[in-house]
Amino acid sequence: MATAAPPPPQWVLDLNSPPASKQKNSGIPDPPGYPATSSGSKKQQASTKTAVRAPPTTHEMDVLKLKKAWEVALAPVKQLPMTAIMMYMSGNSLQIFSIMMVVMAFKNPVMGLMATQQAFERFETAGTRDKLLMVKAVYVAMQILALALGVWKVNQMGLLPTTRSDWLAWETARVPKEVAIPAF
Amino acid sequence: MRLPLTVITLALSLLPSTHAVFADEAYTVDYHHELLGLPLPQTTFFHRPRKDDKATLLYTLSDLGVLGAVHPGTGRVVWRQLLAGESANNGTEKGFLRPVEGESTVVSAIGGRVDSWDAMSGRERWGNVFSGTVKDLEVMETPSGDAKDVLALFEEDGKSVLRLLKGKSGNVKWEYRDEAIDLPLQVSTNVEKLFVTALHGSKGAYNIKVTQVDPVTGKKGSEYTLRSLSEIHGPEDVLLVGANSASPIIAWTDKDFKNLKINVLGRSAAIVTLPLKEADGPITEVEIHAPHLIQSLPHFLVHSYSATANRADVYHVNLASGSVEKEYELPKLPGKGAVSVSSQDANVYFTRLTEDECIVVSSASHGILGRWPMKFTGKDGALIHGASEVVKRTGDAYAVRTAVVTSNDDWLLVRNGAVDWTRSEGLSGAVAAAWADIPESESLAKTLEAEAHINPLSAYIHRVNRHAHDLQYLPAYLQTLPKRLLSSIIGSDAASQTNGVLVRDNFGFNKLVIVATERGRVYGLDAGNQGTILWSTRSSKVFDFPASEKWDVKGIYVDPSKGTATIRGSRGEFVIVHVLTGNVLGTATPGSHPSVRSAVVVDTPSGTRFLPIGLDGNPGEIPSTRAPKDSLVTQGKAGEIKGLKYETSGDIAAPVTLWTFQPGPGEKIINVVSRPTHDPVASIGKVLGDRTVLYKYLNQNVVLVTAVAEESSSVIFYLIDSVSGDVLYSATHEGVDIKQPITSVLTENWFAYSLWSDIAVTSATSAALPASKGYQIVISELFESSIPNDRGPLGPTDNSSSIEPSDEINGEPALPYVITQSFLIPESISHMSVSQTSQGITSRQLICTLAGSNAVVGIPRHILDARRPVGRAPTPAEMEESLVQYHPVIDFDPRMTLTHKREVIGIKDVIATPAILESTSLLFAYGIDIFGTRVAPSAAFDILGKSFNRLSLVATVLALWVGVFILAPMTKRKQINERWAAQ
Repeated sequence: MATAAPPPPQWVLDLNSPPASKQKNSGIPDPPGYPATSSGSKKQQASTKTAVRAPPTTHEMDVLKLKKAWEVALAPVKQLPMTAIMMYMSGNSLQIFSIMMVVMAFKNPVMGLMATQQAFERFETAGTRDKLLMVKAVYVAMQILALALGVWKVNQMGLLPTTRSDWLAWETARVPKEVAIPAF
Repeated sequence: MRLPLTVITLALSLLPSTHAVFADEAYTVDYHHELLGLPLPQTTFFHRPRKDDKATLLYTLSDLGVLGAVHPGTGRVVWRQLLAGESANNGTEKGFLRPVEGESTVVSAIGGRVDSWDAMSGRERWGNVFSGTVKDLEVMETPSGDAKDVLALFEEDGKSVLRLLKGKSGNVKWEYRDEAIDLPLQVSTNVEKLFVTALHGSKGAYNIKVTQVDPVTGKKGSEYTLRSLSEIHGPEDVLLVGANSASPIIAWTDKDFKNLKINVLGRSAAIVTLPLKEADGPITEVEIHAPHLIQSLPHFLVHSYSATANRADVYHVNLASGSVEKEYELPKLPGKGAVSVSSQDANVYFTRLTEDECIVVSSASHGILGRWPMKFTGKDGALIHGASEVVKRTGDAYAVRTAVVTSNDDWLLVRNGAVDWTRSEGLSGAVAAAWADIPESESLAKTLEAEAHINPLSAYIHRVNRHAHDLQYLPAYLQTLPKRLLSSIIGSDAASQTNGVLVRDNFGFNKLVIVATERGRVYGLDAGNQGTILWSTRSSKVFDFPASEKWDVKGIYVDPSKGTATIRGSRGEFVIVHVLTGNVLGTATPGSHPSVRSAVVVDTPSGTRFLPIGLDGNPGEIPSTRAPKDSLVTQGKAGEIKGLKYETSGDIAAPVTLWTFQPGPGEKIINVVSRPTHDPVASIGKVLGDRTVLYKYLNQNVVLVTAVAEESSSVIFYLIDSVSGDVLYSATHEGVDIKQPITSVLTENWFAYSLWSDIAVTSATSAALPASKGYQIVISELFESSIPNDRGPLGPTDNSSSIEPSDEINGEPALPYVITQSFLIPESISHMSVSQTSQGITSRQLICTLAGSNAVVGIPRHILDARRPVGRAPTPAEMEESLVQYHPVIDFDPRMTLTHKREVIGIKDVIATPAILESTSLLFAYGIDIFGTRVAPSAAFDILGKSFNRLSLVATVLALWVGVFILAPMTKRKQINERWAAQ
């Protein structure tokens, strides 16, 4: 017995036929040259533009990528003077500001070091692989430099156990071999 | 690390002055027993301090030389004066105290001084000091309305000197000197004549010589001698010389208390002999009570005691004929009793207190005016003597109150038979004290130990059973829970304890103090509960030494495992008491053991022992199992310091002298101090501003010897290594008054001493030192080396030996580097001690007793710092060390005064003990008074103060909780709505 399938629920109908997208500013006409549906045409325009230029050669790409990679590698060192000035200005006392600065001074280089591979992944091609090694080394050196600044700051704040007094708690008094009991 | 140091420095600089006693702490953390000493029968009386006011005060001059007025209604001290303070032998000299009838004055005499005091305020009206010692004091009755003159009898070079002092100024009106060598006894007056009685003869057999003196001119009149050679051996055999009376008498008994002999002064040399009636056995003691007022009837009462009973007879003196007749007698009653006399105008009343009743009779007839049953508890002790005041109410009703001394050394006020108040005067005159922990119930520890040693299954069953057994305490615990919660929120004292049960508290404030007094009593005080008396034990009953002698306690050793305290006296006697109950567990009488110079707790192969040291500083031969493992430092007969070591040969161990320290020629050792037994040091170095370390010289085997040279009036302090006897450091002070107190204390890596010195400017010193004169306190700090980060000659070795300080043969000992600084202080320090905390992290406080201002002060260590920069402001690095610029004067700031407004008199010693809280040290000061308090030298950093608002904290938490409770559903609803109700 072929009974007709029950009508789909309302929500299925709603899902299948969404209401027409509301015209946001229905009363106001579009400015001249503003397309009603921009997304599709824009893509087309871009594609037509690129289509105009000749594609770069692999060598050119490599040079470009290397140039970009150098920029990435030297980025940390460019922040250093600024950080150094801020650290100097923030003083050596323990305040929320200086503590946050110290935390950032440690967090950024460490995170940067951990993400060394990812940072240069997009520049890595068969041609740039060897040259990137040098760039990576400079990048690591720069991060370490930033880290060193953090360490300097911590030392400046007196948080590094570098003096004799920091180890005093582990030193013990001498134990006398003889004991004399006062009895007077 | 640097961080904590910076933080601490910062925090310390922000903290308010930490040594102050805050107003909310006063009277809660400290306690004070304001004591007078035991009242003496002759110097205790009721007197009206205001002429037209009927109210009286109770005055006494006690056996310790403290003059005081006590409010008879409450028993509180109105005022006190310490009269015997300056003389070291207080108590040995007899004091006299007389009221001036009809004036607001009491007159006292002790030693060579005679003073007149305002009876209301205790302020001195006048004082006069004479050579010789006072033998008697009387107030002269003068007909004119001027201030009454005072008669004082002195003994000067064995001769009697009688002086009449003007009542207004204390100046001498006239002086009468007896040229014969006599023992002056007393002075009496009957308005027209003065009688000086003296004992004449050789030691052991005296006649009584009575001399008449003219009261206006002080010229000698007639004199006669009473034959009493066989009966009177010393001044104490004369029972009474009637003082101010219409007809003064002198009375004594024969040797066996068979007859009483009386002479009516000024009549003739006739001696009246009155038979004494026995009362249940032979008479052991006879007392005579006579009125002291000139207008009183010349009646007197003879009170005789036997071992088990007492009785009294009343006699009348016939003024016209001079005969003495018995009027009536008071019946014999069992036990001891106290009779006191009080007079009102011409009427004389006798008050008789026995264990059962209190009766008042008039001297004129035997009719009993008032009778009250005594409401006494058994622990009050036997009645010894009293002073009473009889008041005639409307009609024939009388009221009586008697201040009576009992055999428990308590002073009670009995009003119409009921005890009004009790003052524990026996606690005064403490000679030694020691802290004791409350013994913990050892059963739990034992059970746990037992469970650890049996097999797991039975241990488990045992534990389950034990916990099931413990469940019975659960309801009680739950009942107290709200109270505990509430008290922790409100912040009431955590040290409050359950009724009657002594338990340790979490903070370690609940401790006991064992106090031994010079009268041979031992007291147990509860320091956690305002120093209340838990128990008292009369050990002198056990020892039976005469009342005139003082118990010289040489040491108290508290055995924490047994819960006992051993108290050793100088004559070899000792008594062992239980610290919680005061039960005497063992005694040894004086003389049963050799005399003792000191006693020390030592570690021996057979456990911890309390070793007595003989008079010559030699503990003598002892069985080798009892010989101490360590060497001893003792003081010999001439004051020399000796190092001893026990050498074992077979079963006997004998002490061998390792070294002897003799001070230079002409010097005498007056004091030796060592570091306290409990003296932990948390940090072995001092961190300087530049993070370098100055290492402390921490040698536990050092003693500080104080020697004085009388001829050059200089004091020399020697720091001696007590193992090798090497002198590590010495300092000499010139121009020191060695009669002034010189006190010293040694702890951690520093020592301090105070003295009076007059440093004159000489050409040699003028450049370095300006002249100074006054009391000084000198602090010296010892370091291993003068160079920071250097551990001195011994280097980083873990062990040190004083005998072989280095690998070289006969190597020099490692000498400390000493920094010294001196400060001027406003008054003399009679005793110094130092606060103690459990781990030594808290800085120490120097506890100084000021005899001059009757106070105890705590000087913070950072003021007494030898490294304070002199003559310049501190550098930033020094500021970081919290060093402040040197200022030559330390003023005893009222905030340093631990006793705040309390006056503590006669403090001999202050003992300290750590609490469980690291910040806090418990102090106990004893002497005539008892005072105890808690100090937190670095502020109470580990406990919330009273000012902490617990209520607001709880309220904040509750408010936050309520807020979260309300807001949480609201936020949830909003979040859901955001998702679902977007369209």
